[in-house]
Amino acid sequence: MDYVQSNRSKILAQRETRSAYLFLLPSLVFFLGFVIFPMILCVYTSFFDATMGKNVADQFIGLKNYTELFGDSIFQKALKNTLIIVLVSVPTVAIFSLWVASAIYKMKGPVLSAFRCIFYLPVVTGSVAVTVVWKWMFHNYYGLFNYVGTHTGVLEKNINWLGDARFALPCIILILFTTSVGQPIVLYVSALGNVDDSLVEAASVDGATDLQLFWKIKWPQIMPTTLYILVITTINSFQCFALIQLLTSGGPNHSTDTVMYYIYYTAFKLYRYGYGNAMGVILAIIIALLSALQFQLAKEK
Amino acid sequence: MKKRILAWGAASLLLASSLAACGPKATTETEKKAESGKASEAASEKVEGASEDEALKADLKLYTYPIGKWGDSASVDSLLQNFNAKYPDIHVTVEYLDYQSGDDQVNTAIEGNAAPDLIMEGPERLVANWGAKGLMVDLADLFEDDAAKDIYPNVVEACKSSEGKYYEYPLAMIAHCMAINKTAFENADALQYLDLDNHTWTTENFFKAVKALHDKGQENVAAVYCGGQGGDQGTRALVNNLYGGKFTNKEHTEYAVDSSENAQALEELMKAEGINFDPALVGGDEITLFRNGTLAMSLCWNSAQQNNKDNGEAGKTNNGDEIIPMLFPAKDGKAELCGGIWGFGIFDNGDENKVKAAKAFIRFMANDAEQAKLSVQTTGFFPVHKDLTDVYEGTENAETMKLFTEKFMPSFGDYYQVTPGWATARTEWWNMLQRIGQGGDVKTELTTFQTNANAAAKA
Amino acid sequence: MHKTKNLYSLLSLFLLILLAFFFLFPLYWIITGSFKTAQSINGTSPDWFPKEWVLLNYQKLFSRQPTALFTLSIPFSGAFSGTGKDIVLMTGPKVPGAVRWLLNTVFMSLSAMILTCVTASMAGYALAKKRFRGRTLLFTLIVCAMALPKQVILIPLIREMSFLKLYNSLLAVIFPTVGWPFGVFLMKQFSEGVPGEMLEASRIDGASEARIFSQIVLPMIKPGIGALAIFTFINSWNDYFMQLIMLSSTENLTISLGIAKLQAENATDFGIIMAGAAVAAIPILIVFLMFQRYFTQGIAMGAVKG
Repeated sequence: MDYVQSNRSKILAQRETRSAYLFLLPSLVFFLGFVIFPMILCVYTSFFDATMGKNVADQFIGLKNYTELFGDSIFQKALKNTLIIVLVSVPTVAIFSLWVASAIYKMKGPVLSAFRCIFYLPVVTGSVAVTVVWKWMFHNYYGLFNYVGTHTGVLEKNINWLGDARFALPCIILILFTTSVGQPIVLYVSALGNVDDSLVEAASVDGATDLQLFWKIKWPQIMPTTLYILVITTINSFQCFALIQLLTSGGPNHSTDTVMYYIYYTAFKLYRYGYGNAMGVILAIIIALLSALQFQLAKEK
Repeated sequence: MKKRILAWGAASLLLASSLAACGPKATTETEKKAESGKASEAASEKVEGASEDEALKADLKLYTYPIGKWGDSASVDSLLQNFNAKYPDIHVTVEYLDYQSGDDQVNTAIEGNAAPDLIMEGPERLVANWGAKGLMVDLADLFEDDAAKDIYPNVVEACKSSEGKYYEYPLAMIAHCMAINKTAFENADALQYLDLDNHTWTTENFFKAVKALHDKGQENVAAVYCGGQGGDQGTRALVNNLYGGKFTNKEHTEYAVDSSENAQALEELMKAEGINFDPALVGGDEITLFRNGTLAMSLCWNSAQQNNKDNGEAGKTNNGDEIIPMLFPAKDGKAELCGGIWGFGIFDNGDENKVKAAKAFIRFMANDAEQAKLSVQTTGFFPVHKDLTDVYEGTENAETMKLFTEKFMPSFGDYYQVTPGWATARTEWWNMLQRIGQGGDVKTELTTFQTNANAAAKA
Repeated sequence: MHKTKNLYSLLSLFLLILLAFFFLFPLYWIITGSFKTAQSINGTSPDWFPKEWVLLNYQKLFSRQPTALFTLSIPFSGAFSGTGKDIVLMTGPKVPGAVRWLLNTVFMSLSAMILTCVTASMAGYALAKKRFRGRTLLFTLIVCAMALPKQVILIPLIREMSFLKLYNSLLAVIFPTVGWPFGVFLMKQFSEGVPGEMLEASRIDGASEARIFSQIVLPMIKPGIGALAIFTFINSWNDYFMQLIMLSSTENLTISLGIAKLQAENATDFGIIMAGAAVAAIPILIVFLMFQRYFTQGIAMGAVKG
């Protein structure tokens, strides 16, 4: 009897595995084929002095690309900038969109949708189209900010926003911010709208303050939305590329270089494929560790 | 109900667009065929000239940079029509690159195994970069033609790689110069610093003029733009000429930027009020600012710019101020202008037939007696053939071109852009200007440039 | 107490309106700018409103680089066509490049969206509800790769696409987008919320796996699919990077690339760039306004369990 039982469960387990992989198959083709396989190639090439052209064969140089990376001050700058962008933009986007959402979610239909739409506009307009306007707004000689600033007396003289190492990165972050808050606001509005009203009413009858209402009742209920927003904003911030390529090309003096832009720069301006791949590997390890950590923390909660 | 409409809408949209974009490398075949049909009629008229070459059949991809009107599809289409009249079965598809991202585009295409067959640009890219990397076809046989005998020897030299292979067949050339806004200079009483007969000035007078303009309220006189490589010949020429510095050694084997002459030039430029090191600009932006009157000088000028009338009259700024082209300032007034050479190269895509067809294309565009004139006119620059002197005769640009021939072309300097590692050196150059502009020490930065550029030259 | 509350909401309303102008401005500037004359747009002081409305910028934009509206060809047929090129079945009429770019972008974003939703919902369900060998490993891989920027694998990806003869095709942009495992992760989180007893019950009733998935799982994770669809569509529409490195010929450009190219080529002509940006923004804007409800409704994230 026991034997039959275990044999049967074995068959069942096999059947389940088979059906699971059938469900996974379409996704795996793309995931393994266009993410994992190139990643393996990336690791492989990072041990070579690979470059463009037919004259030189790729040369195996072991860990030399990696040791060079640790002494590359531009790479360190780029890594720092990448982290700054993520660490600044993720919380600000989350807090700002929560504030906007809680201010508008109780408004009347048309007003609510007008606001929601307006904040969503930069997202649908597309980062490249928006960037074109921002480039003009930040322009040193005839940009809007300098025009308004000098005419109202706020600025003493024109500031070369994108051409000054002190301002360029904050400008990039600001633009990234305006193109990132649209979706979180939409999500928060619908999450706040779904908060169980009876709980809120009961609590306010009990004399809870607004702040208490928010933290004790609403916040736990919108927690999943918050997590989702944090994840997508992190992904978006890491991938910020168009802004940098179109506005500053990483300058001035690499003050807006991110690792992602620096990889591109190394590959197609300096022709150092192996070195670029080594950077990619390091970044991948850092991000994987962060993701795993974040995930572990969320799981424990 | 609404849902269903939505679903249908989405489905039909998807269907329509899936039709749109399935083909990876699909070109507009039918249209090309129609064109060539027309062309073959024209070709049949001159059958006697038909050689074996004219039966060539190939699909070629040509990448052009914006070299005058070679960056404009209408102009290029008319040149291609002439070509197809003679070679009805060679279909040329053109992609138009820009100087900001064009190199990256070619590089990704090379990496994606989809390099173009033909490319039009200067030796700094075709010879020193892609040629040196073994990606181009040796064009030595083109230089053996009779038609190639009257090409200026220094131009031929520039098209030759360090191993003696020819990776470019030249078409046009120019000496890049700078320009000033005459009205602005007049208002600041600064015309006295210029030698208007010879279009020259000395370094001393240049700085005097900058000061005069700035004192007169011209907040931004000139910009040392360094946002990228676009128009970087201007910043190089300015820095090198001011105190007689060099960019490379004579043999074009290594970079020689780290000198006291160049250091002095950069320090003086940093000090001069009214001159900004601007990492938010590249050459094209600077020209816009010059044309709209924000800047009183442009470092990125040539005959094509002088003749440009996109924004009003040729040789005038947007509000009608006269533009005077000038040589770069030099200690003795004798500047060495940075030359530009443009021509064609062929990528080695391993197809003999395509190479043959591409060579036929080059011969037609650059050697054919009638066509070469049109090809050169389209660039807006000067022919590389000594004997081809009447290109602009009778055109509206004749006068300007005469001025450039007489006053500027004789100062055509050493064509050092073919030094190995050029692509890296260029990138290092604007990066260095950025660092200096942000307060970096001139001498240290020059040394850093030299170290990095020479490392690339030796690699 | 009540007064401060009113004051606060008044203040926040004021701030909101201010911010709304700030967010509206780029689009306003694009649209009005596209109708301005060159003098007005290149002037040293901004014209807040066009003094004179001109269509010149649009005329210039639409006279550039005509391409076929569509090219219908057999994917991968280059491998056996003899010429190395795909077999072309038919090409559409000539239209301005910008129209083709727009169509390319719509096709790309929609395909990426549909493929992602289909593959991710299936995989997410399997990961959440089935026990199988390699599950932990796969899930770990997914979590680690989720936030990875695509730039990391830029060079190998170009080489791979070139090997597959997909370089310079929209598929080269679509496939890596579909492969990105964020969708699978999201769908797994949603599928966790499907009660196991329900699945077990229908299994006992003899329902096939396909039936269980389509009749029970799918309806329950629908809000999640909605969220994923929007996220993928927008991301793919705006994924300038992948488009930049994979697409090179005029007929394969997307609208983002097209504008970036316009910008680089016409540093002196801001008007045509504005016209290009307007052409890029307006269609998707209209779609968004029409289907606003679908964009914003029903994305109840309550089902997500972190």
